[in-house]
Amino acid sequence: MKRSFSIRWPLFGLALLVGLLAVACETSTPQNTFAPAGDVADKQRQLFLMAMWPAVAILVGVEVVLVLSLILFRRRRGRQLPKQVHGNTPLEVAWTLAPLLLLLGLAVPMVALIFELGRNPKAEALPIRVIGHQWVWEFQYPTFADGQGRPLTIIGTPENPPELHIPAGREIALEITSADVIHSFWVPRLGGKLDAIPGRVNRMWIVVNEPGVYPGQCAEFCGLLHADMRLKVVVHETEADFEGWVREMLSSGSGGGR
Amino acid sequence: MAVAWEPIRMIEALRRVRREAATYRGLWSWIATVDHKRIGIMYGVAAFAFFLAGGIEALLIRLQLARPGGDVVSPEVYNQLFTMHGTTMIFLVVMPLASAFFNLVVPLQIGARDVAFPRLNAFSFWVFLVGALFLHSSILAGGAPNAGWFGYAPLTELPYNPGHGIDFWALGLQIVGISSMASAFNFIVTILNLRAPGMTLFRMPVFTWMTLVTSFLIILAMPVIAVALFQLEFDRLFGANFFNPTKGGTPLLWQHLFWIFGHPEVYILILPAMGIVSEVLPTFSQKPLFGYPFVIFSGIAIAFMSFGVWAHHMYTTGLGPVANSAFGVGTILIAVPTGVKIFNWLATLWGGNVSLRTPLLFAVGFVAMFVIGGLTGVTHSMVPSDYQQQDTYYVVAHFHQVLFGGALFALFAGVYYWFPKFSGRLLDEKLGQLHFWLMLIGFNLTFQPMMILGMLGMPRRIYTYPEGMGWDQWNLLATSGAFVIALSVLVFMVNVVRSLRRAERAGADPWDGRTLEWSIPSPPPPYNFARIPVVRARDDFWHRKYMEDAQGRPVPVVAGGSGEVESGAPEEEIHMPSPSFFPLITAIGFPIIATGFVFAEYAVVAAGAVVLLYGLYGWALEPATE
Repeated sequence: MKRSFSIRWPLFGLALLVGLLAVACETSTPQNTFAPAGDVADKQRQLFLMAMWPAVAILVGVEVVLVLSLILFRRRRGRQLPKQVHGNTPLEVAWTLAPLLLLLGLAVPMVALIFELGRNPKAEALPIRVIGHQWVWEFQYPTFADGQGRPLTIIGTPENPPELHIPAGREIALEITSADVIHSFWVPRLGGKLDAIPGRVNRMWIVVNEPGVYPGQCAEFCGLLHADMRLKVVVHETEADFEGWVREMLSSGSGGGR
Repeated sequence: MAVAWEPIRMIEALRRVRREAATYRGLWSWIATVDHKRIGIMYGVAAFAFFLAGGIEALLIRLQLARPGGDVVSPEVYNQLFTMHGTTMIFLVVMPLASAFFNLVVPLQIGARDVAFPRLNAFSFWVFLVGALFLHSSILAGGAPNAGWFGYAPLTELPYNPGHGIDFWALGLQIVGISSMASAFNFIVTILNLRAPGMTLFRMPVFTWMTLVTSFLIILAMPVIAVALFQLEFDRLFGANFFNPTKGGTPLLWQHLFWIFGHPEVYILILPAMGIVSEVLPTFSQKPLFGYPFVIFSGIAIAFMSFGVWAHHMYTTGLGPVANSAFGVGTILIAVPTGVKIFNWLATLWGGNVSLRTPLLFAVGFVAMFVIGGLTGVTHSMVPSDYQQQDTYYVVAHFHQVLFGGALFALFAGVYYWFPKFSGRLLDEKLGQLHFWLMLIGFNLTFQPMMILGMLGMPRRIYTYPEGMGWDQWNLLATSGAFVIALSVLVFMVNVVRSLRRAERAGADPWDGRTLEWSIPSPPPPYNFARIPVVRARDDFWHRKYMEDAQGRPVPVVAGGSGEVESGAPEEEIHMPSPSFFPLITAIGFPIIATGFVFAEYAVVAAGAVVLLYGLYGWALEPATE
């Protein structure tokens, strides 16, 4: 049997991956789901890790047994034909029940977090309407109205994406919908996505603890310039900063409706 | 051995069958064929041609994304490319490749002369081919479909998508669906009714079992997408109002219908692959499949559960905590029967006498890669965690682990395993191993970086991305991997061409096989079995070659067991179906009708209907045997 394609090739690939991983850690990753800046994203990351580590353990176990069985039981000249083992019922029961219990164990925190993230926003939360358009986001602040009683409205262009300003530490209640096709509102460091569906309002809450600027983008394919449908969330350190921004927008008139 | 039969009458019958099979020669003999083996080969060749097309689309996608701000193709072309890549690979590559193996292998594994409805079988192939060509003809008619293989409404509705691409897509899939339905019914009847005497259900080879389960999945899932596609076309052609919200329609209805079909579809793609692996691992380990009934029942369990998990594609659409919890738990549980299969495959290898030939390498590659696909599936079945991963490259990585690392690796295992049976020649072992290692390395270089890209927040289906996202080097790596895969496919093609020309003759049983297909000559004669075998055990052919001693070790049967088929009752006559052109004529009606609808030319629709009816009547009135 030919052995020229030895273990060296896979090892080379692995080394390359590790090297690239090292390089990647140096660069900035503004949409990294593993660098949460708010409660929601952090809980989602923890749940992911809770499922990931057992998965990694099982993966390593399966691959080791697989490779070992190729090495240990490789066909050699003069080897007897193997014993014809047809199965083993206790073993089957064991490897049915063990994963079942493990998975049901994972289901408990999963369901708990689904209901926690799915609760209604608190009464003191700041409401913001998010409206998807092909291929730009619109944000409305119903609690801040201009002289004519229209809500403070921010809208961008595909070339110049809009900024969503919020205060740190306060719960934000997002009401997400669409004016045309289905979009999905996503700012990875702040939390998972929620679809913007025409004719329907989806609600989600977020809390951001760290002030800063967080990029996000539409996550549901929405046509030609889907890739350009971006946004930035600007998180102000204090309520006062945020209210200053609101006053500035209302007085400059730049925040008016479309 | 049996002496009761009359050799002279037998030989006379076989001669007559050969004469009949040669009614048409050359190309015509292929066009009119109703032989399951020839139909299987045509499925395989056509699917491979579409595999090359889908592969080139993938390479263009990867070139565009190789670096930030890529401008290899325009956004519009990019959207067409990923739509056609997904649609092609699922409907025109993996499904028909599985059909190729159903056709080639199942009748041989159950000891039958052909499928139950040979002309319907030819019809299935021709409808698939004309449907696929119709779908591709959109490129000439003003642009390919551009709304993704999932075609989410209302992006597919007329106001947002006025071109004809979507019509070609919807009607093309409708035609291909007819092919799948016809073929699924055919194989259900074949497997239930044409098994050789003694082949009880629990003596059937696992690949045949998985064909049966897949066929049931197809007849239950395909009508759902057919309904959804008809509704979409009614919206587009006649101003109906199913999915368009501006007129009160419900866009989410499309998603429910699409995924009630779409999730079973995933298992339609993977169960035949699991069947192939369950044949290859025992053969090359010289050991029976470990836990045969458990492997079968977990396949059936997966099929049942696949109809109850569709909304895990819709966690982020706002279904609410109760629905998300129910679908989340259901999705997690589907990992249990999947795990059972993987553990049984490991136990099959363990303690075996494992020959590292190319078919085994691909089967082992399947297990190694599919387990990653399964486990990543568990991570994003966790609903809140999936809010982050949905529609990112993490999901792209996940389903390529399943459908490429899984299904395609297994299908290549099948190609290397059964190629000698149908060509009479072995594929070259050195080139096969080179193909395997290049594909394995290329696959991992392409798709493991995508997992990291998803975690770093890169969404799917974007035609470009800016600098400074930390995605650049991972994308470059994925692109380089895609070209390694392309190279491996070239190696495979060279191997096939060279081996067909001058490889060593395979003989009837090159791998020391266990199932009936290895008991007849390679390539098999048109009637497959000179005499229908009588089956006495699971892995019947193995038991004709080996007995088990008291310790369960196999001992060769002394007097020339190998390659010889035992007699059943004496054959009066070998009944074989005659070639027919009517399946092709009937099939040609469909794209003509569809073209008429796309361009609202109802005279063309009528003309297509005439062709269809002519084909059907001719078919019905044609005598089955001359």
